Amino acid sequence: MKLMHTKLPEFIKKMKDAATKGEKVKECNVVGLESLKTAKMQSLRTGRLEQAVEDLAKDARIDSVEVAVIPRRPESMHSAIVRGFDKDGKPLHAILETINILHPTEDVLLHDCEEIDDRRPPIGDH
Amino acid sequence: MNRLKYRVIPEGMLDDILVPLTIVLIDYEDVKACNLTMREACDKIAATIPGPAGLNMFDMTATTTNSDGVMLDGSMTCMAASDYGKINNEFGYLEMVELDYSDELIQEEPHLKQWKINFGDRKLIMGPDPKKKNIPIHNAVLTGRAGNNNSATEMMHCITMEEIILPISGQLQLMRDGDVEVGGTGWIISVGIGMVVAEEYGRIVPHRQFKVGDTAHKSGEYAKFLKSHIPIIAACKSDLAKYIIKALEAGMIPGKDIGASPAVLAVARHMKIKPDFDNMTKASFDELKSVGFTKEWMLENVEALTTDEIIARADEIIPGVDQPKTYKASDIVQIKYVEV
Repeated sequence: MKLMHTKLPEFIKKMKDAATKGEKVKECNVVGLESLKTAKMQSLRTGRLEQAVEDLAKDARIDSVEVAVIPRRPESMHSAIVRGFDKDGKPLHAILETINILHPTEDVLLHDCEEIDDRRPPIGDH
Repeated sequence: MNRLKYRVIPEGMLDDILVPLTIVLIDYEDVKACNLTMREACDKIAATIPGPAGLNMFDMTATTTNSDGVMLDGSMTCMAASDYGKINNEFGYLEMVELDYSDELIQEEPHLKQWKINFGDRKLIMGPDPKKKNIPIHNAVLTGRAGNNNSATEMMHCITMEEIILPISGQLQLMRDGDVEVGGTGWIISVGIGMVVAEEYGRIVPHRQFKVGDTAHKSGEYAKFLKSHIPIIAACKSDLAKYIIKALEAGMIPGKDIGASPAVLAVARHMKIKPDFDNMTKASFDELKSVGFTKEWMLENVEALTTDEIIARADEIIPGVDQPKTYKASDIVQIKYVEV
């Protein structure tokens, strides 16, 4: 069954494919998702990102493309699941905690970039 | 063309501590004199600083609380973080909330009884409004590499991950050209920071999440290590003593009205004021004990001192700050001006 979201490996492949749409095949590197083992990526934005990669790939001045995925808000809230296992690997006791993480904002990637086209919706919109 | 004055501690080494980003302190009076909004003033100053910076603005005619719930003569009005000369539009700037006096407020937050007793002619400015923040949990602003957290009392470099703690009482000293202690935060302050009070618009924790007498840390022996390695610029002990004495003289009981931090407890002992043990939790006792402040220590029959004597001997009485060095504000703060 196909859900309304894109599989993580498929997402990465789509980005790389989109970078080949110009006159010259260009490399596209996806960063920021390395710690994810599985993920369903929002389809609507996957399409927009493919378009963005293609737009840059078609620019003759551009040699390679990077897609960096960072938290939209520079603070992310996580659950930490602390589990204790017996000698057979069966979980015996779990403690749930929360851990909030502060991140650098997108400015660290944009400060030396002259042309910025912000296609993001306001926070809270799709 | 006006000139806006501001104070700066530049990024880099300050004696043997690292200031991980540029620290900017601004007086709201100077901003008003230049006919600027608070945001405009922060933008103008940020534009002069190419690297990461935290910007704090003060209303020295207002009052607020520190993390112990002790009230002070001065408050932050806004905080900002900037990098590459700019403040991030979504996450880089936040204003603080002014509270109106009400009986309900005093009933819910009894430490604010100090307000009318000690600072009745001042407006009360607390932390930011949680509903207006784009950063959901922390009272923080972020731009690029710069982070300014806990309502402008800890600043961090988000790439090197280095941090500095700036208790508000120390920042007020810098604004007044007083003396400050520079050193390491150490175990005692690391525990003391956790002894918070319940505040709806708390500068550190909103929504009255933690009751006075408890610890926000709740991490036992681990609490003393949470911040101990971080450099700190704190008020000199005599100045801190004055604030704590004022709170205690206003009838505040440690562990019942104000946080039972080591600093508060140390002053209270010499004023023969006992903490409210019944209102304090086992978790808070455990954390205090882990840095030497046992119930027996709290009940020890120490010398009764006058307030003047406590202030004079504050360095010996109030614990905290590892390897402290005392500086005049003018020795570490540069005065600068920007054309506006």
